Order: sequence, then structure tokens, then C-alpha cells
Amino acid sequence: MLKNLNSKHIQRFSYKYLPQFPISPNSPKLGFSRSQIANYRSNFPTTIMSSSKTIVLRSSDGETFEVDEAVAVESQTIKHMIEDGCADTSIPLPNVTSKILSKVIEYCKKHVETPNADEKVAEEDLKSFDADFVKVDQSTLFDLILAANYLNIKSLLDLTCQTVADMIKGKTPEEIRKTFNIKNDFTPEEEEEVRRENAWAFE
Amino acid sequence: MTESDNAPGFSDLPEGCVTDILSITSPRDACRAASISKAFHSAADSDAVWDRFLPLDYPQVITRAVPPVVFESKKQLYHRLSESYIILDRGYLGLKLDRESGRKCYMLGARNLSIAWGGDTRYWEWGHSPESRFAEVGILRCVWWLDIQGRIASAMLSPKTTYVVYLVFRVTRDSWGLSAPGKTIVTFGGVRNETSNVYLQQPRTRGRPRTQAHTQTPRSDGWMEIKLGEFYYDNGDEGEIEMGFQEHHEYKGGLIVEGIEVRPK
Repeated sequence: MLKNLNSKHIQRFSYKYLPQFPISPNSPKLGFSRSQIANYRSNFPTTIMSSSKTIVLRSSDGETFEVDEAVAVESQTIKHMIEDGCADTSIPLPNVTSKILSKVIEYCKKHVETPNADEKVAEEDLKSFDADFVKVDQSTLFDLILAANYLNIKSLLDLTCQTVADMIKGKTPEEIRKTFNIKNDFTPEEEEEVRRENAWAFE
Repeated sequence: MTESDNAPGFSDLPEGCVTDILSITSPRDACRAASISKAFHSAADSDAVWDRFLPLDYPQVITRAVPPVVFESKKQLYHRLSESYIILDRGYLGLKLDRESGRKCYMLGARNLSIAWGGDTRYWEWGHSPESRFAEVGILRCVWWLDIQGRIASAMLSPKTTYVVYLVFRVTRDSWGLSAPGKTIVTFGGVRNETSNVYLQQPRTRGRPRTQAHTQTPRSDGWMEIKLGEFYYDNGDEGEIEMGFQEHHEYKGGLIVEGIEVRPK
């Protein structure tokens, strides 16, 4: 709609009208009453001048997600792609499945929506969201780490890494192997040697 | 490492992520993790992990060490620093790391303290002791007014830590008068904490024994210590901490002072 206007129109009208509402060249007269403006604005809360641009993300299994740009740029990777002009149609994310991508988007949305956690209530709300967010099965947790790493979302990477670190703390190597299904590829002699090097940690 | 075919696990993480995870555990956990598997061994021994466990200002601090500290990896440096004190500056400040947390510990040598009458050879002698980590220790011949004080700048300490202060000393076989009750003082941030009835030596009890907290306890390095007090340090430059022990009621002698130690609780 705005494409039909040239700069002449905009300059002529701007002094009279509030800059936030769209100007239609097809309107019968160029002035709107206060009540008309209020009515218009209440029906169109997101106006053209507030940049609520959306980005389309495509997961590895072909599903598309439309997200606000503000949410998408929580990922530094996506932010750079947009800045480099690679985001015209959609952004393909071949390393992230739809299941994980939808979780990542949920995380980013929550963190963008919460105002700069200055207020105690907002901060605690976010903390409890984060705590619930990582209550997932192990394979989802690792998928989230990989996604956060690939998409370069520092706060999500910190959160997921901290969760895994908490699962390691205080455990013996045998317990850790069991928890994460890790194969011990040391020979008994090699393992003994490593334990001796780090003897104090096993006291 | 093998997990079930489709589920991702540690083997799918880039080494950068594994070191990130290990660096937020603890030195003890990182050392244990080295024995999990070869991949963990490589990550757990990496400089990236141990760099996080060392104090932020360690490069500047270790250049002050005499003799210089030699190390091939950050893990090796961490172990060197947490094993025993390195001596800094003019030889009367020792620095160590608490092995579990990587927090800094300091020992102020006797020459670095303010000892009343310390310069008067009628009362105090200065000499070398083979068990000491410093060149000289203070040896009390005899004195009435025992007053030992030390100061340390808070900016030297590890942030967000509760520190405990100890007087490190020994008593000779022919010591006397050291069983009198003394007073300990720790002053920080305008708050002065005094504790009375602190004994350098267990008095020959006529009644019930004194509580352990207020008398000497043996240390692993062969010296004894008594607690002078504790304080919490948050961040930045919060001024100096003053620490001291006083006893003015008995004539005494036979005390050997190694220094004052400040270590995390």
C-alpha cells in the first residue's frame, strides 16, 4: 500500500497526521477525525511504522516457522545471515529438526518478551521458566546444546551446558559413564595411569 | 564412545562444548572426568578448562614469584599453585590456591607483620627455621606485651569468598606463659570483630577442657594455628583487612611465629 505513495505525498501529509497510522491513497479525504483514528488504531495494533518484521525459518525436516525478527536475532548466526542479506525468503537450518527448533523458538520468545530482568518478579519468572525448560530427556538436552551452539545463542548454550555440568558434578567416572552411556576406551593399565595422575581427586 | 544410534550424546558434541561443560564443574570433577574415556581425558586436561579454574589475575601474579614458576600446561600450573605456597615479592608473601575451588590463599610471613617490640633483640630474635617457607621466622625470647598484627588488601583476594584468618606458629619445648587467654581481632569494612579467651597453648586444665575452637590446632605442614576470625569479601577494592592477636597479661616466651594465613572457609 505504501508503495503507491511517493515521497511528495508523505511530506505533504506528515505535518497533519500522526506518523503511526498508514495513509491510504484511496481514502476519500485526507483528514481523519480523532475518533476515526482511534478506531483505526484499535483494530490494527501493530502498525506499519513499528518494525514487526517476521523471519521464516526452515528446519531440517522441511517444516517452516515464522517468527518475529526480534526473536530470531537472539541467534547470532541468524542475525548475521539477515545482515548479510541471506534472509529474503526463508532461512534454512539443516542442522536443526522441527522438534528442537520449536523448543529453541519457545526459549527465545520467552527471553525476548521478558523485559530486562530488573524487577524481581520478572527475574524469578524467567528463572523458573529456564528450570522447567531443561527438564527434558537426555537426547533432547544434547540436541539443544548442539542447536544452541550452531545457532550461537549464548544464554541457551550456558543454560544447557550448566544442566549437563550439574549432572556430572560429584559423580564417579563409572556413574558418569552409566548416565551418559559412554564407552570406556581405556585399557586397564591406561585407566590406572590416569587415576594415578589425578590421585587427589579420588580421595 | 557409543550410544544408541539415533540419540545424540557426548561424542556428538564438539570438544569446545565438552570443555565448556567441564570448566563449570570443579577441579575435582575435571580430574575425575579425565578417567572416563580418551576423549574426556583430552578435554579434561585441556588449557581451556584449567584456565577457568585459575584466578583471573594469575598471569600478573606468577610473574612476581621468586623463584619463577615453571609450567607446561595450565593444569600443571594449577597443581603447582595448589600444592604449596609460592613466594612473591620481597620474600614474605606466600600465595597458594585452594585446590577444591581455585580460590586464593595468602600467608604473610612474620617479617611482613607488625610485631610490637619486634625490632628489639631483647624481646624478639629473627632466624631461619628449616620448617619455614620463609627466610626468617620471629622467635619470642620474652615479652609482656604480645601484639602481632597483619594487613592485607582486599583487592588481592578472590571475590565472593568467606575467608578465615589464622596465626601460624609453634611453641618451643621451653616455652612459658603462653597459656594465658589472648584476644583476636579482625577488622574489615569498618566492622571490628574481637574474640576473647583464645589460647596459644592448651592451659593445664584444672577444670573442664577448653573448646577446640579457641586453642591451637595442628596443621599438615608441621606448624600450629589458631583462628583469629573470619570475614566475607565481595568484590573490587573494599580496603584492607587488619588481623591481630594480643595478650598483655602474662610474661611469656618461647613462641615462634611463621605468619598469618588467610584462606577460604
